[in-house]
Amino acid sequence: MKYQIVIAGIGGQGAVFLVKVLSIAAGLKDQKCLGTENHGMSQRGGSVSCYVKIGNFYSPAIDEGQADLLIALEGNEGLRNIQYLKKDGGTIVVNADDSFPNLEYKTIKIDAFAKATKGDLPIQALNVYMLGVALAKDPHFPFNVKEIEEAIRVMNAKVADKNIAVLHSAIEDSRSV
Amino acid sequence: MKQIMMGNEAIALGLIHANVDMISGYPGTPSSEIIGNFQKFSKQFGCDTYAQWATNEKVGFEVAYAGAMTGKRTCTTLKQVGLNVASDALMSASYIGHLGAMLLVSADDPGFHSSQTEQDSRSFAKFAKIPVFDPSTPQEAYDMVKIALDLSQKFQTPVMLRPVMRVSHAREICEVDESVDFKPNNGEFIRDIGRWAAVPPRGRFAQGVEQLKRIDEIAKHNWENFIKPKADKLKGSKTLCLTSGTGDGYVREAIEDMDIKADVLKLDIPYPLPKKEIERLFDNYENVIVFEETYPCIEEQLSSPKLHGKLTGDVHKIDEFSKDKVVKAFSNIGLTETNKSYQNEKYGGEVPVRPPNLCPGCPHRDVYYSIMKVFRKKKSIYPSDIGCYTLGLNQGAIDTVLCMGASIGMASGFSIADKSKTVIASIGDSTFTHSGVAPLINAVYQKHKFILFIMDNSVTAMTGRQATPERVNPGVVNLKNIVEGCGATCMEHIYTPDLDESINFMKEVKKKFETTEGPLVAIVREFCVLDKERAPQMLPGIYAEVDPDKCVACDICTTQYKCPPMHYNDEHKIEIDPFLCIGCDACIDDLCPTDAFIERKPK
Repeated sequence: MKYQIVIAGIGGQGAVFLVKVLSIAAGLKDQKCLGTENHGMSQRGGSVSCYVKIGNFYSPAIDEGQADLLIALEGNEGLRNIQYLKKDGGTIVVNADDSFPNLEYKTIKIDAFAKATKGDLPIQALNVYMLGVALAKDPHFPFNVKEIEEAIRVMNAKVADKNIAVLHSAIEDSRSV
Repeated sequence: MKQIMMGNEAIALGLIHANVDMISGYPGTPSSEIIGNFQKFSKQFGCDTYAQWATNEKVGFEVAYAGAMTGKRTCTTLKQVGLNVASDALMSASYIGHLGAMLLVSADDPGFHSSQTEQDSRSFAKFAKIPVFDPSTPQEAYDMVKIALDLSQKFQTPVMLRPVMRVSHAREICEVDESVDFKPNNGEFIRDIGRWAAVPPRGRFAQGVEQLKRIDEIAKHNWENFIKPKADKLKGSKTLCLTSGTGDGYVREAIEDMDIKADVLKLDIPYPLPKKEIERLFDNYENVIVFEETYPCIEEQLSSPKLHGKLTGDVHKIDEFSKDKVVKAFSNIGLTETNKSYQNEKYGGEVPVRPPNLCPGCPHRDVYYSIMKVFRKKKSIYPSDIGCYTLGLNQGAIDTVLCMGASIGMASGFSIADKSKTVIASIGDSTFTHSGVAPLINAVYQKHKFILFIMDNSVTAMTGRQATPERVNPGVVNLKNIVEGCGATCMEHIYTPDLDESINFMKEVKKKFETTEGPLVAIVREFCVLDKERAPQMLPGIYAEVDPDKCVACDICTTQYKCPPMHYNDEHKIEIDPFLCIGCDACIDDLCPTDAFIERKPK
């Protein structure tokens, strides 16, 4: 199995956290995994893009036209990285409202900011929420709910229950997307 | 044992498993997490180690090098531009050598992700005549740490490990040693004046001859132990790819994806190379291509009409590697069809750029805003330095950025060269202790007239909030004492999120400057909003929102203040993003000329 994920967002949204969770999930399944993340300048509210490659790879970076999945924690960051998706079969899971343009890729759109504004989602858990949406909506997503739950527990047991609750609310919300 | 690790974490664990008990360095992306992780592992496994941040890279190098002189196994960590600072010590250490082992980890940043140059530390190793290992993944970085330290011990020379950002900040499931059997060497200084204090010309000349002999021996060692076993297994395609570090991964994936037939020979030690032995391999090939990041370090050591690379113009010369660049090189040489490419269409519409910015609530923003209010742009020059505060660029409050500590030396130069303007320099506390003291003494003794703001947040913020000397030893190391000890006049201001107070302080500075001979230093005691210890006490938790009836869209907040939550909405009124506002309350009261920023009411 080979599966490549680009995670795009803004510094502070927790893209790196998702790299950690996904690589832990791969490790728990004894799958090979290479990931890479941005630090430094990009942490300061700038654009952040991280890569996770599951399967037999040699290089942690992802080239254009290669990703199976793009998780965009914010709409514009999704558009900025859209060229990384595979032309046939690439899926974007994006936090955006109705103004997000129609793309040639399979697009799963959910307005997590609106949900957070209403007080239904803690904004710090936006990353886990979008991971939950990807998990629920992408049939090729390489991990099931149990595996991601376990990875979240390994990652940080203290806040795991809260994150897992957010994960489930994302899966629940995805039914109507 | 399998463990998921980031490259820098893998390097730190490798150091523990290699019995390194002294590590000293200065933070710099992408190297910064090695020392922190080493401290974590030391604690976890109960290892008695010395692991501290040095005031700068040269100091860090010298501390570790003296340790290696006494027979210990030591390490220093820095980023590629930090190596420039440590280079004076490195160049001589390479002549003199040591009795123990010393690993110099110099992390490179191809693609300028967070660096002012793209220089290749492997080429620096070549310049200094020390061997260099170039890992391609966290696993390799872990493995190479141990091998490199053994090589250092065997040949009594510092050895470099050169991870790039895509290794240091990569994450991989690594196979690591199960148990920790930590047995560091004893340190014992053995007097050997002829060696440790070799005097030019004869002493150093003799060491130079030894150095040349040593590097030839290491090249042979490289062939026998690292290259030959791999060369024996080459398959016999018509094209040979010589790779190093991350270049290797891109090449292997690209030839697999694109079904290109080529042999790949990875050079774990890209310097020193056994020239003749490698060139003899070329006999079996029609073309040889070198894929390395970022300078032609390998390519410059070899010669053959069959050789292709950066020097022949076939491989890219700047920016990070990619698989697409590998395919392009094959097509440049005429080995693949030109239509093979990874390129894909970018989004056709407009996507607003999102440049790095100071965090919401960052005191640096208020300080720069106040400087700009009091010291007008037309009559000022603003040299600045390396750190978070470089992002004062967004407020137009910075004119020059050169290298660590340069704000002060350049302030001297500007004050001499353009007397019609006031020179207002800014530097962070960590950068000041790194390399600001020597230029300040220079300015004092030569009476250079400028203002220097030391923006003291008591943390090395940009690289992940490492502790600074003043923070670790408050009262013992004191910036004000240092400045006054240099002989400069020093003012001090304790920052609060009240713009009027900051502006009033700038007015006092301006007044004081009129009667000051030489440099006037103003220390602003700030805090970092990401500092979990100090920020909660400093931030009042008063969040802002906008009264749309009062906002007249004058642009002052979005052009002069530039706090990330502030943006125009569809009605062309300023709006505060509630998810970004950190509750510093600085914008309420003093920023908006029509008082549109008000306290957010609980809903």
